[in-house]
Amino acid sequence: MTNPGVLLIYALVIVLGVVALSRGHGSFRHGLIRGAEQLIKLLPRMLCALVAAGFLATLIPTEVISSFLGAEAGFMAIVIGTLTGMFIPAGPAISFSIAAVLANEGASVPALVSFITSWSVFALHRVFIFEIPLLGISFTRLRMLSGLILPLLAGALTLAAMSTLSML
Amino acid sequence: MGLTCYVVLGPERFTAAVSGSLDLVGNTLPRVAAAQFVAAFVWAMLPRDRISQLADADHGLRGLAIATAAGIITPGGPTSAFSLLAIAAGAGADRGILITYITSWSLLAVQRIIVWDLPFMGAEFSAIRFLVCLPLPILAGMIARRLPLSLVLIGTPTQPGAGK
Repeated sequence: MTNPGVLLIYALVIVLGVVALSRGHGSFRHGLIRGAEQLIKLLPRMLCALVAAGFLATLIPTEVISSFLGAEAGFMAIVIGTLTGMFIPAGPAISFSIAAVLANEGASVPALVSFITSWSVFALHRVFIFEIPLLGISFTRLRMLSGLILPLLAGALTLAAMSTLSML
Repeated sequence: MGLTCYVVLGPERFTAAVSGSLDLVGNTLPRVAAAQFVAAFVWAMLPRDRISQLADADHGLRGLAIATAAGIITPGGPTSAFSLLAIAAGAGADRGILITYITSWSLLAVQRIIVWDLPFMGAEFSAIRFLVCLPLPILAGMIARRLPLSLVLIGTPTQPGAGK
C-alpha cells in the first residue's frame, strides 16, 4: 500500500506543516483548525457516497458496468462516462467516491477520465453557488458550450495514448 | 438504496456490499485525511493578491497559456478561484482568458489533483488525466473567442458579441 502518490501526500503534510510553523503568524494553528474542520465536513459525505455507490454497484451487476464502462466498450464507455459526469451536482467528495467505486467494478481508465473531466467542467453545484451569482448566466452558457467537447476529447486522447503505449 | 439492495439481493449480498464499501473507505480515508491537511496549510499561507494580474495578459495564444498556468497554480477551493475570476472579469480580461482560466482551474489545479485525484485514484491515473487535459483549457478559450454569443457579466459593461 505504499505507492509514490500516497508518500507524496504524507510528505507534503509534513513539509507544509514545518513551513507554516516557521512562518509564525498563527499559520500553523489556522491550517490545523481548517484541516480538521474540512475533514469533519467531508467524512459523512464520503462515507455515504462510498456506501451508496457500493450498493448501486452491487445492484447493477459488474458485467453491466464493465460492458458499458469497461475497456471492451471502447468509445461508448467514454460517451457514457461523459454523460454520467454531467449529472453529478455535488462536490469532489461525492464524485471521486463514485469514480473509485466504478474503478473497483471494472470501469476503464478512458471512461473514468471522461467521467471526472465531465464532472469538472459541468459541476452544477458550482454553477449555482458561485458562477451565476458572481459572473452571470451568460458566462455559464459560454463556458458550457466552449467546454462541451472536452470530456469526450480527454477520454479519446486517453484511449489513444493507452493503445499507443500497449503497442510499444 | 441500501433498503432496495437488502430487499432485492437478500441479507448476504447486502452485508457484502457494506463491508466492501467500508474496506474502500478504510483504504482511502488516511490518504484523504492527509490531503485535507495539505489543502488547509496551503489555504492558511495563500498569497491572495498575486493571481489577480490575469487581466493584463494579452489576447493571443500567449494569454491563454498564461491563464492555463494561473489556473494550475491557483490554490484553494471554488471560493478563491471564482472570486479571482470575477476580479479578472471586472478588470476587463477577454472571454478567452476567463474561460481558459476557470477551465484550467477545474481540470488541472495542482491542489485539487493532490487533494482528490491522488488519494482516490492513484498516481498513475492522476498523471494520465493531467497530461491528457493539459491542452484542453486553451482549446476551450479558443472556442469561447469564436462563439457568437453575447456575454453580459454582472457588474461590468456588455462585451461585444463574437470574440475580440
